[in-house]
Amino acid sequence: MTTEPERAGSIYDLGYRSYGGTRLGRRHAVRTVYVESLRSAFGLGRRASSKVIPVILLVIVLLPAAVHLGIAAASRQQMDIVKPEDYSSFVEVILALFVAAQAPELAGRDQRNRTLSLYFSRAIERRDYALAKLGALVSAMLVLTLVPQAVLFVGNAFTTNDALEYLREDAANVPRVLASSVLVSGLCASVALAIASRTPRRAYATGGIIAIFVGSAAIGGILDATVGRYGIMVSLFDLMTGATYWIFSAEHEYEVATELMFAAVVGVTAISVGLILRRYERIPA
Amino acid sequence: MPPGPGPVPIEVEHVSRWFGNVVAVNDISFKVGPGVTGLLGPNGAGKSTLLHVMSGFLKPSAGGVRIGDEPAWLNPGMFRRVGLVPEREATYGFLTGFEFVRLAAKLHRLPDPDRAAARAIETVEMAGAQDRATGGYSKGMKQRIKVAASIVHDPQVLILDEPFNGMDPRQRIHMMDLLRAMARAGRTVLFSSHILEEVERLADSVLVIVAGRLAASGDFREIRRLMTDRPHTFRIRSSDNRDLGAAMLSQPSVSGIELDREVMTVRVADFGAFTRALPGVARTRGITLLEVAPSDESLESVFSYLVRR
Amino acid sequence: MNGDIVRLTLRQLVGKRRTVFMVLVALLPSVLATAFRASGEGDPAEWASTQLLGGMVVAMLLPLAGLVFGTAILGTEIDDGTAVYLLARPIPRREILLSKLCVAWLLTAVFVAASLLVAGTIALEGTDEWGALIAGFVVATVAGSLAYCTVFTLLSLLTGRAFIAGLLYVFIWEGLVTALFDGTRLLSLRHATLGLAGYVASVSRDTFDPELGGATSVAVLILAVAAAGWLAVVKLQRFEIGESG
Repeated sequence: MTTEPERAGSIYDLGYRSYGGTRLGRRHAVRTVYVESLRSAFGLGRRASSKVIPVILLVIVLLPAAVHLGIAAASRQQMDIVKPEDYSSFVEVILALFVAAQAPELAGRDQRNRTLSLYFSRAIERRDYALAKLGALVSAMLVLTLVPQAVLFVGNAFTTNDALEYLREDAANVPRVLASSVLVSGLCASVALAIASRTPRRAYATGGIIAIFVGSAAIGGILDATVGRYGIMVSLFDLMTGATYWIFSAEHEYEVATELMFAAVVGVTAISVGLILRRYERIPA
Repeated sequence: MPPGPGPVPIEVEHVSRWFGNVVAVNDISFKVGPGVTGLLGPNGAGKSTLLHVMSGFLKPSAGGVRIGDEPAWLNPGMFRRVGLVPEREATYGFLTGFEFVRLAAKLHRLPDPDRAAARAIETVEMAGAQDRATGGYSKGMKQRIKVAASIVHDPQVLILDEPFNGMDPRQRIHMMDLLRAMARAGRTVLFSSHILEEVERLADSVLVIVAGRLAASGDFREIRRLMTDRPHTFRIRSSDNRDLGAAMLSQPSVSGIELDREVMTVRVADFGAFTRALPGVARTRGITLLEVAPSDESLESVFSYLVRR
Repeated sequence: MNGDIVRLTLRQLVGKRRTVFMVLVALLPSVLATAFRASGEGDPAEWASTQLLGGMVVAMLLPLAGLVFGTAILGTEIDDGTAVYLLARPIPRREILLSKLCVAWLLTAVFVAASLLVAGTIALEGTDEWGALIAGFVVATVAGSLAYCTVFTLLSLLTGRAFIAGLLYVFIWEGLVTALFDGTRLLSLRHATLGLAGYVASVSRDTFDPELGGATSVAVLILAVAAAGWLAVVKLQRFEIGESG
C-alpha cells in the first residue's frame, strides 16, 4: 500500500484539559507518603499474604504481656514477672525481625518498580520522601513497642485490688515507657532503613538487617569477654536494653554506665538517619 | 524438517484462565499453522497470559493447549520443538552472549553445542558482540541474543512475547526479516504485540484479543471484509478521475465519491461487488488505473472497530 | 544431575557480595573460640558442644547459610525472570531442582563444616573429646545442610518472601517455640541435627546431651529432605509465571 506524504500538518483538539482544582502541596504529599507507608508496614491495602508476617510478629510481641497477665489472673495477685523496662529485651529479636521484614517493603518497592522518579517529579522532595518513609517505619515500630506496654499497664492495674492506687503509683512509668519506646523504635527503624534503602533486593536487605542486629550482639558478647567491658557497646540489642534501663533508672548488670549506652543509641540513630538522607540525596531516580 | 501434513502446530481449545475474580483469558479457541501469526491486543488484553498458557507456564483454568499434538501443561519435553522468547529483559548477566546461547544448546542436548550456538548467533547477527557479557548489552542486543538462545535447537514452533520492545528501527526490520525467513522455511512463528504497525507489516494472519476474548482471527483484510456493516473507503488515482468517477457513481456498490485534483476517494457499501466491477468499468472506458488503495484498511481501523463493538 | 546447571548455579552464587558476607559470618565462631580459650575458664568440651558448636554453629550459622543458599538457587532466578531459560528446555524439572539443590547443599556444607572445623579445633585443642565432637558435628551439619537447603528451597518456590519466612522459622519456631514446648522439638531441624551430632560423637552425657536420640534425628532429617524435596519437584513441575513477571 502506498501513501502520499501529508501536504499540511494539523493538530487535533483531543479535549485534554489541565488540572484546575486546588493543589494540596508538599505537606499533603509528604503526609500521603507517610500514611501509605505506615499502612503498608502492616500490609494494609495489600493482599492478605502481605499481612501474615506483620500480624504474626505483632501477636508474638504481645505474648509476654499476655502470659504475664494470665499468670497474674490465675494466681489472683499482682506479679512482677514482666517489668516494663525489660519488655524490649524480651522481644528484641522480634523487633529486629519486624524491621528486617518491613523496611525492605517500604524502601525497596519503589526502587524495584523504578517509581522513585515519579515521586521526585512531584511536590515532594528527596528529603521529604526519606523522612516520610522513616517516620512511617518508626510509627509502625511504636505500635509494636507501645501496644504491649499499654496492655501490660492496664492489665496490671486491673489485677490489683485497688486499680486507682496502682495507677497513681505507676503513673511515673508512663513517660519512661514513652521515651524508651521512641528510642528503641527510632534506633531499629533508622538502622534498618539505612540498610534497606541501599538495595532494591528484598532478600539482601532482610539479610543485612538481621545480620547487623544478631551479628552485632554476637560480636559484642565476644568483645565483652575478651577485649573489655566496653565491647558490649557494639551490640545494638544491648545498647537498646542499657538505654532503656537508664531511662527507667533501673537496676542492671551492665559494667558500662547506662547513660553512655543511651548516648550511643542516640548517636547510632543520628548516623543512620544521616545515611538515609544521604542515600536519598544521591540515589539515581 | 519440511512441514509435512503432520499435526497442527498450535491448537488452542476453549482456553480460559482466571486469577481469583479476574478473568484474563476467556474461552479462546484457535489453530495456528506455519507462517507468521501476530497476536494483537492492547496492553492488559491477556496476550501474555495466553502465551504463558501456550508455553506451559500457566495452567489453563479450563480448556487445553496442544503443540504439535503434545499437551503444553506439565510437559517440558514439548520444548524439543518449541522455542520461547520471554518478554522480560533479564539474561544471566555474567555469561557472554556465546556462553548464554551455548548453555541453551547444551540444555537441549544438541550433539555439537558450539556449532549450534555459533549458527544461531550468526542468524541474529550478534557474532560481533558474542564475547561480551550479556549484562552490558543494550535492550535490542538482549532481545536478539534471547532469540538466538531460543532458535538454537531449530524449533518447529517459535513463540515470542513482545519481541520488538526496545529495538531501534533497523534492528526491528532485521528481526522481521529473520522471522519471515523462519516462516518461509515452514516454521510456525507466533508473536505478540500491542503495536498495529508491527503486526500489519509482519504477520500473515492475526489474532486479535480484546479484554481476554478472541475478537477476530485470520487475514486482517479478510476480517475487514467480513465487517460489511461499515463502509469501506478507497483512494483511486487513474488517467481520468472525472470520467471514472462518473461511471462508478452508477454502480450500486458505490455510495459516494469525492474528487480532489489527482486523488479520488470512493466510499463503498459492498466491498465484493465494487472490487469485481471496478476493473471492468475502467477497461470499457479506456481508463488506466494508477493506484487503488483501501484507505482505511490499516489494522488500526480494524482494531478500533473491534474494540468499539 | 546436570553439569551445566550445576556450573551455572555455582557462577550465580559464588563471587558475589553474598559470598563475602558468608565468609565473614563463618569466621565468627573461630573468633569466639579464640576468646574462650584466652579466658581459660570453663570446660572446653562442654562449652564447645553446647555453646559454640551446638549454639552458634548449629543454631545460627547452619540455618542462615542454608537460608541464604537455599532461597538463592531458584528464588533469585524466579525473581529476575531468568528461570525461564532453564524451565523452557526439554529437561525434567526434577533434574533442574536436584542439580541446583546439590549446589546449595555443597556450599552450605562447606561453609558450615569449614567454620566448625576451625572453631572446634581452636576450642577443643588438647582435649580428649576433640576427635569425637568434631566428627559428630561435621557429620551432623553436612546432613543438616541438606535438610535446611531442601526446606528453604521449597519455601522459595512457595512464596516470594521466602527469606523472611525462613528467618521466622529459625528464630521463632526453632528458637522460641521449641524452647517453650518440648514436643515441638520433633519438628525442628536444629534439634535433629544436634541429636545426630550427639549420636555420632557419643561423648559423655555430662558433656553433651541433646534432646533427640540418634534414630529419631536421622528419621526426622530423612523425612524432611524427602517430603520437602518431593514437594519442591512437584511445585517446580507446576511452576507458573507470575502475572507481574
